[in-house]
Amino acid sequence: MNAFRQHWLTWSVLTLGFAFLYVPILILMIYSFNESKLASVWSGFSFKWYGALFRDRDMLNAAWLSLKLAFFTATGAVVLGTLASLVMTRMRHFRSRTLFGALITAPLVMPEVILGLSLLLLFVSMGNALNGLGIGQFQPKGVLSLWIAHVTFTLAFVTVVISSRMSELDKSLEEAAMDLGANRVKVFFQITLPIIAPALVSGWLLAFTLSLDDVVISSFVSGPGSTTLPIKVFSSVRLGLNPKINALATIMVTIVALVAVIGWWWMRREERRRQRDMQLAMQDNG
Amino acid sequence: MGTGHTSNDKDTEDYLRIVDVRKEFDGFVAVEDTNLSIRKGEIFALLGGSGCGKSTLLRCLGGFERPTSGKIYLDGQLMNDLPPYERPINMMFQSYALFPHMTVAQNIAFGPKQDGMPKQQIEARVTEMLKLVQMEKYAQRKPHQLSGGQQQRVALARSLAKGPKLLLLDEPMGALDKKLRSQMQLELVSIIEKSGVTCVMVTHDQEEAMTMATRIALMDSGRIRQVATPDEIYESPTSRFAAEFIGSVNMIEGRIEEDMKDYVTIRAPQLPDVIYVGHGISGYEGQDVAFAVRPEKVQISKEEPAQPHNKARGKIEDIAYFGSHSVFHVRLPTGFKMMANFANQERWASEGMTWGDEVWVCWGENEGVVLTT
Amino acid sequence: MNAGIGRVLAKLVPGKRWGVIAIPYLWMLLFFAIPFLIVLRISFSMRDQTSSPPYTPIIEYIDNAVTMKLNLSHYATLVTDSLYVQAYGSSLWIAAVSTLLALLIGYPMAYVISRLSPSARNVAMMLVVLPSWTSFLIRVYAWVGILKNNGLLNGLLMKLGIIEEPLKILYTPLATYIGIVYCYLPFMILPLYTNLVKHDNRLLEAAYDLGAKPWQAFLKITLPLSRAGIIAGCMLVMIPAVGEYVIPEMLGGPDTLMIGRQLVNDFSAATDWPRASAVAISMLLLLLVPILIFNRVQQREMEGKLT
Repeated sequence: MNAFRQHWLTWSVLTLGFAFLYVPILILMIYSFNESKLASVWSGFSFKWYGALFRDRDMLNAAWLSLKLAFFTATGAVVLGTLASLVMTRMRHFRSRTLFGALITAPLVMPEVILGLSLLLLFVSMGNALNGLGIGQFQPKGVLSLWIAHVTFTLAFVTVVISSRMSELDKSLEEAAMDLGANRVKVFFQITLPIIAPALVSGWLLAFTLSLDDVVISSFVSGPGSTTLPIKVFSSVRLGLNPKINALATIMVTIVALVAVIGWWWMRREERRRQRDMQLAMQDNG
Repeated sequence: MGTGHTSNDKDTEDYLRIVDVRKEFDGFVAVEDTNLSIRKGEIFALLGGSGCGKSTLLRCLGGFERPTSGKIYLDGQLMNDLPPYERPINMMFQSYALFPHMTVAQNIAFGPKQDGMPKQQIEARVTEMLKLVQMEKYAQRKPHQLSGGQQQRVALARSLAKGPKLLLLDEPMGALDKKLRSQMQLELVSIIEKSGVTCVMVTHDQEEAMTMATRIALMDSGRIRQVATPDEIYESPTSRFAAEFIGSVNMIEGRIEEDMKDYVTIRAPQLPDVIYVGHGISGYEGQDVAFAVRPEKVQISKEEPAQPHNKARGKIEDIAYFGSHSVFHVRLPTGFKMMANFANQERWASEGMTWGDEVWVCWGENEGVVLTT
Repeated sequence: MNAGIGRVLAKLVPGKRWGVIAIPYLWMLLFFAIPFLIVLRISFSMRDQTSSPPYTPIIEYIDNAVTMKLNLSHYATLVTDSLYVQAYGSSLWIAAVSTLLALLIGYPMAYVISRLSPSARNVAMMLVVLPSWTSFLIRVYAWVGILKNNGLLNGLLMKLGIIEEPLKILYTPLATYIGIVYCYLPFMILPLYTNLVKHDNRLLEAAYDLGAKPWQAFLKITLPLSRAGIIAGCMLVMIPAVGEYVIPEMLGGPDTLMIGRQLVNDFSAATDWPRASAVAISMLLLLLVPILIFNRVQQREMEGKLT
């Protein structure tokens, strides 16, 4: 394919593709400033929907709950995910390893309705069992259930991210540390963990996003006092268009875009610094 | 083998003892029942091609593999049940394995820190090590800011920082380019000897082993074929494998015709006359043997040599010019090609002989080795 | 029963470093594996709105004897009732069509991006993945405003005079296709890109050198080599799409039958937990083989066995 045709093809595919991906979002953002409630009529620029959004107590409470939940979910998922990754990448020989692997990776493609239903039924059974044994009240639908459910389904994704980094880690680094006198625990905390830290961060961010965005599983296991933001949004959009949601969407997109740009810029800077360092090393012939 | 013992050797002789060590992986035998005795302070090389088991044996010493059977003793202490972090053994890895998130100084300090050495002592140690490998200026650099040769020095310093009883080197020159290699080989030996540590190294490069080691164990398919000093292994190989692995050699198959007390003749189809060996060997008439003579022991001349035996006529088929010497490949009428080295002691000395010339090759009666294995 | 569990656990969890293994293992056993067993058990029960939880027990003590009542009526219904049969068929069809569309859009994009310079492609991939970091719900919502009868698309088309009556797209299966493709497109592009970017350019150069035209080289070399990526992408889209609930609920309207919607309906609207459980089990069985395939490939990738 000659250069011109390839160029033309590349540009048209990219333009169309990215347009498809981004135009709906842009439209959403633009209409958050629309004075009118209707989608097809532009009646003027206004911030009034943002105001309405911030006056909506329920919405704000739900947002706060979702943020807290996402934070603790991400943290729990990263801790468990690191342990699971250790098992997947470093422990080669034990029975039922395939079972373990299947348990860890299955949620990646499992339809959420199945996950939600099964978890709720589990919590109900657990609640009955614990109440029956007199150990205390366990609320099948509540914040604790939400947390457990979120950690369970995000664990798969986090484990994929962390274990892929761990398997790339040069084993001789860990062997060298052991050779120099560090036992396995010390090796993990002094060598392994610092080196795979970026993967832990991206795993954490991934779990955070997934938790923040989940509506199906949360619907099953949340109770009246534990409404998450996605649940709130879902119930309000079922009733029709709601420009407050547009405002919310714009805020979320802006935050995500900012974080992404900052992250990318920071990584570029690190990469360039590395390049400079390596050049430096080449130059002097110590 | 093993000439030149002094009375002190008895104490230092079995510093590292490998006793009947065997390592199997799922039925595949990587290391066959191996026995080695290594003296204190020597640089001992495990030499062999890939898959011969040398790296596996080294990893058993380091504690990264558990021998299927057998015992390893260091300075009288049994090592088998000790994990790597409890052994007084340190290893320099082929990839150096420098911790990328730590500076040079922190890398070197890592070992002593694990031992709980007080901070000042650690600092003093690090400085001492940096001086030993001449990397004082680079203490605060990170590994990716160093060149290959510099990284190697840091790796060496790190593995010596704890003053181990045994130092293991895994293909120490593997990651360096050729020019750097020769220079570093001698430097490495000097540093190791200065620190006085006993050293076991693994390599596939025979030149490296010959240059650096005090003794070499030649390995093949999990077995040790010969243990000797470099010159012994070169001049007195005990097997075809050893003769062919180190340096180049003319290998001639034949059968013993006369087996006398002080001479032996060998009938070889590849040579026109019998080979005359000027000493007796422990063999018998009719035995199939191989006669190995190195190219530098074979003389090449235009005129017929005076000696009665060990000579043949042939045509120059190939000349490989190496600058310092030339290797003449001479095709004998029997079809056999013999290699003869010619040192270019005078400029343009080998000009006289060229492709297609008829020449004579000859060698002394004690310059070859008779091999039965 | 506790001793039994102990023995089972001991067999499942190996000797030395079991502490590390045990924690995530137990977590997943408890919160992932066991729930499925519970769902299975409940699917054999009957709805009982008088008790809490609202289903009848299977194992009962009647006259000092333990009797087990397995009710298979729900499974029978799933196979015979046209509603469910249609829902299964419709789910599979919608998921398949959406996957195909996603592949047709995603492959060219992944291909083109993989051919860019390294820094350009990193930026491009970041832009591809970025939308999926924003709320999924909101991205579906965006299409509501666009596809409505008096929404943006119709408004635009009518203003341009291309149509006179608004097109009914929202609350039809078409909207569901659009929604699924839109939301899952990054999941199709990602594995395709990961695969394509590893292709050795020299293979193509060798093909050109031997006289192949670009489209031939593509068909004979690039396409077959990207097979693993295609399978991964299709699995990542199709399997969850079969059980989708939010997209058909917000965009599909009453005519879009999907099994995920049916499950939620049975569960909340009809409070028929046993029926919903049976639906869940049947969905699992339906998806079992693709899930297992995906699992195998994913596991080996995680262990670092695949390059």
